[in-house]
Amino acid sequence: MSSPAPILSSMKVDGSRNYIIPADVHGRWIRLRRLGFVALIGFYVLAPFIPMGGHPMVQLDVAGRRFFLFGQTFNAQDFWMVLLLLLTFAFGLLLVTAWRGRVWCGWGCPQTVFLEGVYRPIERFFEGPREKRLRQANEPWTGERVLRRVAKLTAFLLVSMVIAHTATAIFVSPRELWLMIAEGPGTHLEAFSLTTGFTAILMFNFTWFREQFCVVLCPYGRLQSVLHDRDSVTVAYAEKRGEPRGKAHKTLETGAPKVGDCVDCRKCVNVCPTGIDIRNGLQMECLACNQCIDACDEVMVKLNRPTGLVGFASQTELSGGARRVVRPRLMVYGALMLLSAGTLGVSLVNRTPFEANVFRQHGTNPFVVDGEVVRNAFEVHVTNKNPAEARFSLALTAPVSGAEISVGTPTIELKSLTDAHVPVMVSIPTSSLSMTPVELTLTVKDETNGSQRVIPVRFMAPPMHH
Amino acid sequence: MNAPNDKIVRRYDDIEEEDNHLPNWWLFILFSTIVFMFGYWFVYHTLKLLPSPPVEYANEIDALKKARNAANPMSDDALASLAKDPAIVAEGKQVFASTCASCHGPEAAGLVGPNLTDNYWLHGANPTDIAKSMTDGYPEKGMPSWGPILGAEKVRKVTAFILSIRNTNVAGGKAPQGDPVN
Repeated sequence: MSSPAPILSSMKVDGSRNYIIPADVHGRWIRLRRLGFVALIGFYVLAPFIPMGGHPMVQLDVAGRRFFLFGQTFNAQDFWMVLLLLLTFAFGLLLVTAWRGRVWCGWGCPQTVFLEGVYRPIERFFEGPREKRLRQANEPWTGERVLRRVAKLTAFLLVSMVIAHTATAIFVSPRELWLMIAEGPGTHLEAFSLTTGFTAILMFNFTWFREQFCVVLCPYGRLQSVLHDRDSVTVAYAEKRGEPRGKAHKTLETGAPKVGDCVDCRKCVNVCPTGIDIRNGLQMECLACNQCIDACDEVMVKLNRPTGLVGFASQTELSGGARRVVRPRLMVYGALMLLSAGTLGVSLVNRTPFEANVFRQHGTNPFVVDGEVVRNAFEVHVTNKNPAEARFSLALTAPVSGAEISVGTPTIELKSLTDAHVPVMVSIPTSSLSMTPVELTLTVKDETNGSQRVIPVRFMAPPMHH
Repeated sequence: MNAPNDKIVRRYDDIEEEDNHLPNWWLFILFSTIVFMFGYWFVYHTLKLLPSPPVEYANEIDALKKARNAANPMSDDALASLAKDPAIVAEGKQVFASTCASCHGPEAAGLVGPNLTDNYWLHGANPTDIAKSMTDGYPEKGMPSWGPILGAEKVRKVTAFILSIRNTNVAGGKAPQGDPVN
């Protein structure tokens, strides 16, 4: 494929950067997208501050291996569920890409959400619209321009600091963050460095790097050619209707050669955040932001022509075929996503608010023969995953006569996310051991909410000769 | 649109490879890492101006171990003086009740395990002997090694508790085992 643009629309032939300044855009898609940005940013900024079940709605205490999500308490032992969460997300992403292209990029990715929802509007506010900035690019710097640039960068810095501190708050909780700020960077050098480092990365990314991330760096972006197929519906220019391009002549009156609906106003190119020309067909750099659709529709409305010259179409549709939504690829992705999500849901519902595991006691022999009895030493590890203190009862039963069972602490009280090792000693007379091993049953019950676990325990003894 | 492109260097299955310039920022990162590599090499490996990460790790672990040992002295005298601290003994008693009582009895007068309130000892009666029995255990006799589970601090507290009840001869205790101690 060769296109008029040299290599990348955001890069010159010599490898230097072609800094994109998109024009303002008005229309239904940008309005909808802004609503999405507000909702997503609102959730991100508020999530750590809304209390739920005694903890922040979202707190990922990595250092303490405690994770509070929507009133639920998770610990490191629940980490396996992250796999199901990631699989759900991955299959969901495959599904949505095969179906509608890079919509994640245009609507949900933090890179877009913060760039188009926060940084670009700030830049527009301080430095003016595209036309003014392009004109100024060839003019000498004035005091006012310097002042505007400084004001913009100051606003960028403030916003970056807010975003970075919110990220820190998600990990350490807002209260802890506040204490850290009050005590100063000297005592919390690690948290301070991470937050400052993140602020610096945000500044670099949103001031300068921007769409380079999406078109050069992002692995998901680079995988588009295998994630799309000819039936994926993407932002597309209706070439048959638009070509040949030409000025909006009053064709019939002038008798000039008939031209297509595209008036070659280049508005679709000017509003593009990655600087591509959608009329060249499907391109990897298209982030499905729909801004060219809004720009073109505005022109078509003015010309009293039907909107949708730039709209949505699959490659098959563009070459005259029909749109195909129900196809094996989507069914398989959808089924895999539902399977992952369903498994995650079942796992969450069946989760007990505590963990109980039985081990042979550390450093002992599997069994000890003491005269006429055989002894096994076990250790029950109980972890309380309730958000509050809870009381647990431990009971062990043996299906043989004469067994002596001694549980270190038959009831224990554990604070939230603490654990205990309870020793359990079992002695069985050799006369009862006609069959080995003997299967014992341990029942651990959470007395505060009645949930319980029944764990089989194997009693070991040397072979008996009667 | 499909003007011949002299930059195409390879063509296979209609996939064309061009030899284009990389973004300058990308090249900048590439060359920076090469420069950084030389700096790192000289500082950490040639001149050894700074300790390498494995050495730094070993140093930190050593310092941590020293600090822990300093905070938990395991000498006879140190343990004996702990036994005179009622707060430490009470904490030791609490650990004993949840961990040791299932074998040595709630009053430490012996059940499956030996009586700890008499003055007969199987594996030595010095404070450090008692701490060692607890830490390493006697697996062949059914005494687990508690060191890894309880940790040095709790072992010291339980030792203090046992020293405090030694020779109190609780009524109804298990028959003496081991050697008498004066």
